[in-house]
Amino acid sequence: MAAVVATPVSPTELDPDRIEEEIRGGPEAEEEVAPPQTTGPGTRLSKLPLARIKALMKTDPDVSLASQESVFIIAKATELFVEMIAKDSLVYAQQGKRKTLQRKDLDNAIEAIDEFAFLEGTLD
Amino acid sequence: MAERPEDLNLPNAVITRIIKEALPDGVNVSKEARRAISQAASVFVLYATSCANNFAMKAKRKTLNAGDVLSAMEEMEFERFLEPLREALEVYKKGQKGKKEVSEQKRKDREKKTDSENDKSREEEEEEEERMDEEPEAENEAEEEDVEN
Repeated sequence: MAAVVATPVSPTELDPDRIEEEIRGGPEAEEEVAPPQTTGPGTRLSKLPLARIKALMKTDPDVSLASQESVFIIAKATELFVEMIAKDSLVYAQQGKRKTLQRKDLDNAIEAIDEFAFLEGTLD
Repeated sequence: MAERPEDLNLPNAVITRIIKEALPDGVNVSKEARRAISQAASVFVLYATSCANNFAMKAKRKTLNAGDVLSAMEEMEFERFLEPLREALEVYKKGQKGKKEVSEQKRKDREKKTDSENDKSREEEEEEEERMDEEPEAENEAEEEDVEN
């Protein structure tokens, strides 16, 4: 994870679509961005297959086109989501003194945590 | 082939790996829990897409862009994702730029070869505008210098 990223972008500056590269800090900035993946820059930032994500997105009839970046961001967000729900569900397993995450732990997390409210009634 | 949302699951192996990496060693995950998480992930994609699309439509754009997705995350109360997503996006964009330059160079090299063997002009640093294969609108404007105080 890039812990020290000396980019000139202040947190309040919300314009992620622009490549904010300060020319004077160019080479430095490049080195400081430690890529999380191991197989070379930009080759595999997302664990989830972008093609599959894109296909899922396209099932929405209101969606006409999606940029590559948006597909990537959704893939990455989904990854973070999976991590989050797994961890939050684990709490319930631990409460039950179990080391195995079970479906009911997930149900508990969904019921208890606001961010997961959208999942209610959607899982088999 | 009509893809219905329920037909498109994310690969089990990948979901499992993400889960395992998120949890401490020694913790197991039942098959049902894994399946449910995978389903939840698909629902998440759909919900995020729909939300992001609303932002795009509000801005009268036909193409969903990264900004729309980030706005959607905020709307969905996943602000905690914003920082890591922005970082990942930067790295992704740099990688894409590199890839496009490399493929552009390769293409040019091939053309040069057929043109003339003698005329060996090697373009090292040809700054090209990014070709948006799937992006009809130029979201990635050429690098802008942000001189900000």
